[in-house]
Amino acid sequence: MRKIALLTVFAICLAMILTPTAFSARKTIIKIGINAPLTGDIPKVGEGSKYAAMLWLEDIEKAGGLEVGGKKYEVELVIEDNESKAESAVKANTKMITQDDVLAIVGPQSSKQAVPSGEVANKYNTVMISPWSTNENTTLDRPYVFRGCFLDPFQGPVVANFITDEFAFTKAAVLYDVANDYSKGLAEVFKAAWEKKHGAGSVVAYESFTTKDTDFSSQLTTIVKSGAQVLFSPQYYNEVPLIVKQAKNLGWKGPIVGSDSWGSAELVSLCGKDCNGLFFSSHYAAAGAKGATKAFIDRYEKTYGYIPDDVAALTWDALKLAEQAIQNTGKITGKVAKDRTAVRDALAQIKDFAGITGNMTFTQEGDPIKCAVIVKINDEGQFEFYKSSCP
Amino acid sequence: MELARKFKSLFSTVPMLGWMLGTLVAVLIEYYWGYDYISYYLGLPKIPVLFGTLIMLKEPLMIPGALGYDLIVYIIPILTVAKLTTGLTNPLAAVMEKLPLALSVLIHLVLFYGVLQLWAGINDYRVLVIKLTMISIILTVSINVINGYQGEFSCSHPGFMAIGAYVSSTLTLILFANDKIFGAALLPPSLGPWLFPIALIAGGAAAALGSLAVAIPSFRTRGDYLAIISLAFMFIVKSAVENLHVIGGARGMGGQPDFAPLHVIFIWTMLCIWIIHNFVTSIVGKALNTVRDDEAASESMTIKTRKTKMTAFMFGAFWAGIAGGLFAHVLAYINPGMFSINRLAEILAMVYFGGLNSIVGSIVGAVSINILGEALRPLELFKWIIIPLILIFVMIFRPYGLISFKEINAKRLLKARHKRTPGSDHVSSEKELGA
Repeated sequence: MRKIALLTVFAICLAMILTPTAFSARKTIIKIGINAPLTGDIPKVGEGSKYAAMLWLEDIEKAGGLEVGGKKYEVELVIEDNESKAESAVKANTKMITQDDVLAIVGPQSSKQAVPSGEVANKYNTVMISPWSTNENTTLDRPYVFRGCFLDPFQGPVVANFITDEFAFTKAAVLYDVANDYSKGLAEVFKAAWEKKHGAGSVVAYESFTTKDTDFSSQLTTIVKSGAQVLFSPQYYNEVPLIVKQAKNLGWKGPIVGSDSWGSAELVSLCGKDCNGLFFSSHYAAAGAKGATKAFIDRYEKTYGYIPDDVAALTWDALKLAEQAIQNTGKITGKVAKDRTAVRDALAQIKDFAGITGNMTFTQEGDPIKCAVIVKINDEGQFEFYKSSCP
Repeated sequence: MELARKFKSLFSTVPMLGWMLGTLVAVLIEYYWGYDYISYYLGLPKIPVLFGTLIMLKEPLMIPGALGYDLIVYIIPILTVAKLTTGLTNPLAAVMEKLPLALSVLIHLVLFYGVLQLWAGINDYRVLVIKLTMISIILTVSINVINGYQGEFSCSHPGFMAIGAYVSSTLTLILFANDKIFGAALLPPSLGPWLFPIALIAGGAAAALGSLAVAIPSFRTRGDYLAIISLAFMFIVKSAVENLHVIGGARGMGGQPDFAPLHVIFIWTMLCIWIIHNFVTSIVGKALNTVRDDEAASESMTIKTRKTKMTAFMFGAFWAGIAGGLFAHVLAYINPGMFSINRLAEILAMVYFGGLNSIVGSIVGAVSINILGEALRPLELFKWIIIPLILIFVMIFRPYGLISFKEINAKRLLKARHKRTPGSDHVSSEKELGA
């Protein structure tokens, strides 16, 4: 028994020593990581990113691989679940970079995960494009981190301008989630922009609640009584229907305006008719889209049975950006560290990239300069393009 | 069953030192040949992490390859080396038995750390998983003081952790880092790693002070009421941090300098285990158990129940604060959302899974829940069905957790094993547990 075991070990060791070290190099595969919240608080967001990535991969596979410098390379997606938790997103990024040797990472979507993950990506010199994170800290001082969407400091004034131009209102109310960094940040930016336009005190009600609250009646009563003409509520799609319904029941007559977090297919199915006629700022509008955007929406709907959210469209753009950057490097050396730096440099130089959510050029910080879209929820409950607002 | 018994008795002569030597050899094999030879010939794309579970769950075709890898790299070398070197390791262990126990333990720990460092060094993902697992160990062992040894049901651990995390991060950010919230560093950053323990202890002390808010009302309440008070405390801390703009509010606090490499966390974890072990086996620890079993009786036996409860609470909270500080510096980012009910569920799962009233149990619980959570990652949603199911089964068949009411016996663990012990199929003699 012992002899056999010994012999086996010896044989294996011998085989290893005798084989030439110079193996034929392993096949170079381009790996792209997807860091998405497949479980947790916002699974629909994760699903959208995953599906968009799968469509993208399908295209690449149809073309027989990704062509870089005249050679075709096989592409593989590494999809990791970040459970919508910060430490999990950090683990996923570390795993994809150090274990799976990904060339670039797309994701995480929300800022809560993107801020710490960006730190990891930057530490290991790997390109990370967050399609959906609007927090400025995600890309700040991190040369390897990019994003596919506009920032909160841009979105807030856009909404404030839109309401002023559209309705000529002067008194606004804000209802936001104090425990949610996204919602709180945007509420603050909007308040500042609105008061700059209409003078101090023009935000007549500034009410907050905490994540997972379901009863907003006391806040909404204050808002109704305050004499505000419009309500701005930068909430995630799952809370919006509750707010809208309760506001209507309490006698709110004016418009309710939201932010890009409203842009989920779930919103209308949860909200029903109550949300029709409301506005929100977003990255793209599905109804009435043209060209490549329409092609993407149709294909997505045909494959997965529903109209894609902005997250899906932004993920698609982020992947296309990564693809473009990889192609622009001219060649893949097979040495991951070198390729990653090359991809980063190529990505920073992309100008006027025609994405399905608009044209993009990156600033020094890795943030795109792009236009916001004001979306109206039309009477059929579709997200309709209403207006475009460029910086 | 017969085979298993034979197997066990065959390896019953191997001392701890032998197992460590075996692991060292396995790690060296992986280090030098893992990627270029072994995984290449087995058709694996890379060295598999977490013993190949990730790759097995993702691509079932790789199962033979990954299992073969485990066999070649880990199982065969560890078993053969451990067995074949008994002639060498047993006398060595016997020599060490004559040394003071503390020294012998220290030597073993240094060896263990060396192996761990080598193993983790292959891949930074392993380093991160080990770091977070060790932080979980600190958390679990410390909550066991309150929930296990003292027998109360405290839910405020995430709150203590948050206090520790925020206090120590604030200190390190003010003193050693240039950041947006607090401006330029007050002290030269090179001092940082040396003074970091002070920041950590400050965080722990703040958490301990905070725990008084739970401990004092708890004199008047028992059982469920304490759970509610402590739960309330957790929410108070979370909302307080959310509304404090000075420290980032809901946006969180980022940019903590990297003061928590593997060895720092390892040292803190070992310190924590050692100190808590001493605490719970001391007179105060025995007093804790009497308070758990019958408060009135222990009071009549001259035990100061108030003081005992308060000490235990503050002690547990202190270590939770340390864990929070380490956690913040590993992730280099914290936000209040991290210290909410989800974290509590995780900590409670670890402590009740591993076992009450036992430090070994806590370690087992923390390690298994962490590794399980990581290993089942590819299953996505199903992970959240499988892990709770495992928990339910453990609770049904072992209501006090996997290993409960057992203490570490270092002497027994490290001793030489010249003779085959006939009762070696008995758990306690094979594993590191003593009465």
